[in-house]
Amino acid sequence: MGTASGIIKALNSGIKHIATKRFTFRYPEQKLKFVGDGYQYDPDSGVGIAGYKGRHILFHDKCTGCQLCAIACEDIAEAIAMVKVPEQWKHNKKAIMPQIDYGKCVFCGLCVDACPFYALYMTNDYELSSFTKEALIYTPAQLQVKPKVDQDVEIQIDEKGANHG
Amino acid sequence: MTSQANPKNKEILPGLQLETVDDKIMTLNVGPQHPGSGHMRIILKIDGDYIVHCDPDPGYVHRGEEKMAEYRNYITNIPHLERPVIHDSCNILYPYCLGVEELLGLEVPERAKYLRVIASELNRCVYTQYWLAIYGIFLGHSTMFMWPMGDRELVIDLLEKMTGARVTHSYFVPGGVRNDTPPNFEDVCLRQVNYFEKRLKEYADIFYDNPILISRTKDTGILSREDAIKLGTTGSVLRASGVDFDIRKKEPYDVYEELDFQTNVLKEGDSYARSKIPWLDMFESCRIIRDALQKMPKSGSVRIKLKPNPKGGDTEVYRRVESGRGSLGMHIVSRGKPQPYRLKISVGSFRNLIAMPHLLTGEMLGNMPAVYWSLNYWPVEADR
Repeated sequence: MGTASGIIKALNSGIKHIATKRFTFRYPEQKLKFVGDGYQYDPDSGVGIAGYKGRHILFHDKCTGCQLCAIACEDIAEAIAMVKVPEQWKHNKKAIMPQIDYGKCVFCGLCVDACPFYALYMTNDYELSSFTKEALIYTPAQLQVKPKVDQDVEIQIDEKGANHG
Repeated sequence: MTSQANPKNKEILPGLQLETVDDKIMTLNVGPQHPGSGHMRIILKIDGDYIVHCDPDPGYVHRGEEKMAEYRNYITNIPHLERPVIHDSCNILYPYCLGVEELLGLEVPERAKYLRVIASELNRCVYTQYWLAIYGIFLGHSTMFMWPMGDRELVIDLLEKMTGARVTHSYFVPGGVRNDTPPNFEDVCLRQVNYFEKRLKEYADIFYDNPILISRTKDTGILSREDAIKLGTTGSVLRASGVDFDIRKKEPYDVYEELDFQTNVLKEGDSYARSKIPWLDMFESCRIIRDALQKMPKSGSVRIKLKPNPKGGDTEVYRRVESGRGSLGMHIVSRGKPQPYRLKISVGSFRNLIAMPHLLTGEMLGNMPAVYWSLNYWPVEADR
């Protein structure tokens, strides 16, 4: 192939893309769609349920304060600390529950695998940035809240190419 | 890496040399801050425009992964072991999981084996696309930076659906994989992989058949077949020099022997051939994924339940896999404790770096990025 024809071919393959729709999406206005409600784990079968590994959700009515999540995290990120909660539960005599520091968490989800009581799951919430380091520490009361995540776009493929809808 | 002893240098103390300054030779430090050198320093001695001596100086991002592994048990080792190469995190965990399974005597479920192959091939595509984007921008081809970075999203999206994270998946565990695929995953995967392959074909016109790229990379940094074997290179560097060596074919692990694919070998051994091999490998990855999706058992367990803190016997195992950068092996020594006694990670990046002084000496300075990045070298992985 000659040099000139090669360059024309290269230019042509780039120019074709001027007319096609952009593949990327505008992030803060549009948000990506995930499968499911986040990563979960079934201690009976020992297998996880596929989902995004975002911020955790803690079910206060199930947590027994056994500290297994904190022990699992000990060698990984040391992000989980057990703290006193004001509530009184029959199944949680010590009244302690995990508090997660998202400045340290690596979102591996091994704490979810460690929980034998279906109390700790992960959610689709990934927008955790804050102005202070202290605000990244989520108390058991904050972890209890179910996040509201907007999900509007996902990859669509047609004859012309792929885009995010 | 030790610098070559210059006979002119005087040894003032044992092991300490005083370097003689040559008026004609200039020393040029590329890195370690420069993003082009990628967290390492390349000490170049240049005479005019020609490199007379090259001394790569890695180690700026050493994290002590091997030592850290000695204080963590077989499960909690997973998240930190994938940090050296986060784009290829499934492949770096592969030999570890294979090794630990051999130590603990675990039999992985059939479906998990296929899921591992799919995740590892998708990861290879993610890594190679990232590498290709950097290679494009190194050569001043900014379109080739945008395209692979954009198309990488197709594969990252699949991995996100499958594992729950865009990078650093922590998906492989000794005894299988963490979770099964979401419903309808096979269709989505097939559709996106087919489109990804279609996009890869478009790279030929704009990049690989582009006369400007060919003139920059052809016949630069030629590594002969004998030298490639002698220097101990692996992966795409070795295959670009005409040696047909792929661990997926030579020592098949998991279900690779049942899958239909071929290894790509080129004879030239120059930067162009070295940059083309990973691109050709991505087509094979697409082929493997399609084949694995077809042959995979439709249901079944994907993970064996492990006891907490499993202990290995008094044995040693060594397992290796083919990663995006070549052979990636892990040697695990167990002394009957929940933690490994010693974990040695042997990576392809470091092996390929050894060829760098050989290739750059005598080359022009302008060809340095083209030769350097074609070695498929990932500094963070080489430093561990």
